[in-house]
Amino acid sequence: MLETLLTHLRQNAPDIVDVPILQPADPFLETAGEDLRRRIFITETANGELNCLRPEFTIPIGMAHLKTSKPARYAYGGTVFRQERRGTSEFQQVGLEDLGNTDIVEADAACVNDMLDTLGVCGIQNPKIILGDQNLFSVVVENLGLPQAISERLVRNFGDADLVNNLIDQLVKSGAVSPRNSELDELAASGNRDALIDHVSQMMLVANLSPKAGRSAQDIADRMIAKSAEGHFQLPAERADVLRKFLALETPLDQASDALISFASESNISFGDALTLFQARAEKLSNKGLVYKASLGRKLDYYTGMLFEAEVDEISVAGGGRYDRLCTLLGAENPIPAVGFSISLDRVEEAKQ
Amino acid sequence: MTLIIAIPSKGRLKEKTLNIFENAGLTVEAPEDERSYQTKISGRNDIEIAFLSASEIARELALGSVHLGVTGEDLARESIPKTDDSVDFEIKLSFGHADVVVAVPDAWVDVDTMADLDDVAADYRARYGRRLRVATKYWQLTQNWFGQHGIGVYRIVESLGATEGAPAAGSADAIVDITSTGSTIRANNLKILDDGIILKSEANLIRSKTAEWSVETKILCDDILQKLRISLK
Repeated sequence: MLETLLTHLRQNAPDIVDVPILQPADPFLETAGEDLRRRIFITETANGELNCLRPEFTIPIGMAHLKTSKPARYAYGGTVFRQERRGTSEFQQVGLEDLGNTDIVEADAACVNDMLDTLGVCGIQNPKIILGDQNLFSVVVENLGLPQAISERLVRNFGDADLVNNLIDQLVKSGAVSPRNSELDELAASGNRDALIDHVSQMMLVANLSPKAGRSAQDIADRMIAKSAEGHFQLPAERADVLRKFLALETPLDQASDALISFASESNISFGDALTLFQARAEKLSNKGLVYKASLGRKLDYYTGMLFEAEVDEISVAGGGRYDRLCTLLGAENPIPAVGFSISLDRVEEAKQ
Repeated sequence: MTLIIAIPSKGRLKEKTLNIFENAGLTVEAPEDERSYQTKISGRNDIEIAFLSASEIARELALGSVHLGVTGEDLARESIPKTDDSVDFEIKLSFGHADVVVAVPDAWVDVDTMADLDDVAADYRARYGRRLRVATKYWQLTQNWFGQHGIGVYRIVESLGATEGAPAAGSADAIVDITSTGSTIRANNLKILDDGIILKSEANLIRSKTAEWSVETKILCDDILQKLRISLK
């Protein structure tokens, strides 16, 4: 099955990259964060280097791609290893990574269509495809005119419904930060940056903290001032409702554009280019079984735009999305547009039964 | 079949535990050979006492090789996966108090809460070329706590001693460590976050769910627990 699917995928994704099963663990932990550690299999060499069993293909392919400058479409397939997963820890994945294509609409649509096509070869004809777009949420948040740190916090937590809902509830009650150090709070409130920097530098000196090792006195002072300007921010109930209303949107993809337009006019939101892109992409996708769900996102800081999942009877068989920030995190000097999907073959078998 | 109880093998934890047992009418005899780590309770041939280190006790409780054990809740929660499925915390023993806390340099005057730390962690990589580093020996507790607060992008640096010195040494930015009075934290120019108390720990008498329990050992265990509870009132 794996070979058949790979051969099929390579018709549209001819680029090949070798991804060994044993991988250095660091790139995974550094990009996906410490949270990933308990979900992968880590092993240590005699001299203390951390390796892991390949948990996925995207990050290694992204790293390999940094050595080339041309756009490429990679098909991949093989066994991956994950802990704490429903089902087995060892399963086969096939998928595709499209790196460097600057035509976002075309690349997004091709990615979803290739996934549908490949699922068809697997024998899955009419999966339910749920599609989200992180961009739209970012634009809604931007439109609300919230303090920057709070906007960023909302966007960062997008994809984890509990965290986002809790955050909204909390902000409505009061985002209050209680002042504790009156002298420093006054300096921050009056925007006396130099005095604040002096003060923090002194504290760092006493604590023997190197200003080069991490946060500098300037960074700390600037954030303190920004935080003070936000003050006791409280999210007005009607703006919280706008967020909740947006997150509740769920509609067949061919009606999504209308739903977004009417949401935008009711809520006084301007989607601008984000909606144009969304519409152009939606037009290129076959509408059969596609559903737009506004709250679908992924709480990983390299995901940037479209996101999708394929389900059969509530079994998630495949998924993917756009992660334009990944290659930068991996060390690329300039951003590289990236989109891809992966199909879990054990789930496909489960869904077919 | 005998009931096996694990007791810390040294220091204050050992003394306090022996006192509590003594007060409940359960005198732990000194081992016949002073190099031995096994003994019994006076007049009781149905109970075996094993002296182990506090962290071994947590592990043996999880494995089910001892029925009861005295150790810190911090160690149990840290080293036993799915803690509440494997053990029951039967009696809080009112000694060995210590909190597992998140602390940052007090020069971070803009950081008072986990939400602040989340903000700082989010753009650490973009600003400083690496993720925020947290020094700790409490991997599990840290991962759970940070996860609950939605913080995923950070790295744990393992620290097996003098964790509070890690920020000054430049090996970490923040720490998760144990403290009883907070004085070591303050002495190292660190501060505990307002909502940074992960666990208020103390010594507990813990019952293993995975150990082999016969009808006799169950009755025996209930009896011991009752004696200890009454004497602690």
